[in-house]
Amino acid sequence: MNVRTWVYWCISGTMLLACGGYPVPHDQLSAAQAEVKGAEVGGANENPKAALHVKLAKDQIAIAEKQIADGDNEEAERTLVRAQADADLALALAKEAKAQNDAAEASEQVGKLRKEIGK
Amino acid sequence: MMRRSMRIVNGCISGFYAARPALIAASLATLMMACGGAAVPPQELLDARSAYAEAAKGPAADLAPAQLDTAKQSLQVAQQNFDEDGPNQKTKDLAYVAQRRAQIAAAEGGREKAERKRAAADKDLRNTQTQGLENYAKTKEALAAEKAARVEAERKAAVAMASLAEIAKVKEESRGVVITLSGSVLFATGKSDLLPIAKEKLNQVAKALTDQGFKAIVVQGYTDSVGSASDNDALSLRRAQSVRDYLVTRGVPSEKATAEGKGASNPVADNKTPDGRAENRRVEIVVTPEK
Repeated sequence: MNVRTWVYWCISGTMLLACGGYPVPHDQLSAAQAEVKGAEVGGANENPKAALHVKLAKDQIAIAEKQIADGDNEEAERTLVRAQADADLALALAKEAKAQNDAAEASEQVGKLRKEIGK
Repeated sequence: MMRRSMRIVNGCISGFYAARPALIAASLATLMMACGGAAVPPQELLDARSAYAEAAKGPAADLAPAQLDTAKQSLQVAQQNFDEDGPNQKTKDLAYVAQRRAQIAAAEGGREKAERKRAAADKDLRNTQTQGLENYAKTKEALAAEKAARVEAERKAAVAMASLAEIAKVKEESRGVVITLSGSVLFATGKSDLLPIAKEKLNQVAKALTDQGFKAIVVQGYTDSVGSASDNDALSLRRAQSVRDYLVTRGVPSEKATAEGKGASNPVADNKTPDGRAENRRVEIVVTPEK
């Protein structure tokens, strides 16, 4: 490949980027939606703190969809990254709440059994 | 970029060197503001910083270090974007995500901590269960031993009673088990010293009593109706006492054994016939059984 061809490719590439605009963030959209679903399946709606972040994620997905419709793809992509972060947090909070619940239950069980044996 | 702004500041300042000092000061302040100074970080970045600081203080530091590091990197990216481009939307978005990453790290740390607590509780539960089973087994063993001891005691008592029945009349009455020994076997007429053969019999009685166990015994002496009542009472008491004292020498606890002289009272047979009088001359041992 000679220098002239290189320059040609570089110029045409730059022109393409400039004219083509920002691509629609399909992948981020479906990823964000999948993560919200995952958080919900993980029990996020049963815990108030987690439920809040499910809601935030859903709200931001709605905003991103509107931004895509308006052609603001770059903004939409960033909004979707936010939505994913909220969905991730919702799942993490749900798991934490469940683990804490299980731990409390197990402790209670031990206490009960000890009391019974002590009788 | 920094170097360029410094050049601008230097240029501005050198231009004002000729002016009056007061004007210089006022203009300098205006200039500092105009030239940017330090940009105010957006709320998202402040939130991300405090969320990270909080997560780093919590259990995540030990239990979710990977997630905490991810959060740190996100925060650094947001900070870098702010340093380079100021508080634009991208900085806000990056900071927003960084805050969530810090919160995720905190939640992961909390989850891990709770899971460890739960595992410890489960282990505790298993140990307690094992202990409970052991206690149960021990209790069962103790109960079995107790039952065996009771059965053995009952057997011994039955044997003791059977051996007693060979030498004396044994009757269960409401006042207790009454062992009746014939006076003619125990004493010479008018005497309260035990005959040698009496001692042999009383040895058996003492053995039966100590084998069986009892709460208390009362040795009661009785006479026939011949003679004065006061003589009979005194003789019956002396006889009861010598039986009681002998039993004590054979292992019957002295604090559990007492003697009473009943004289000619409570005859068990007719005092008009020689056989009846012989039956009435007797010593009764009233045994209060153990509860």
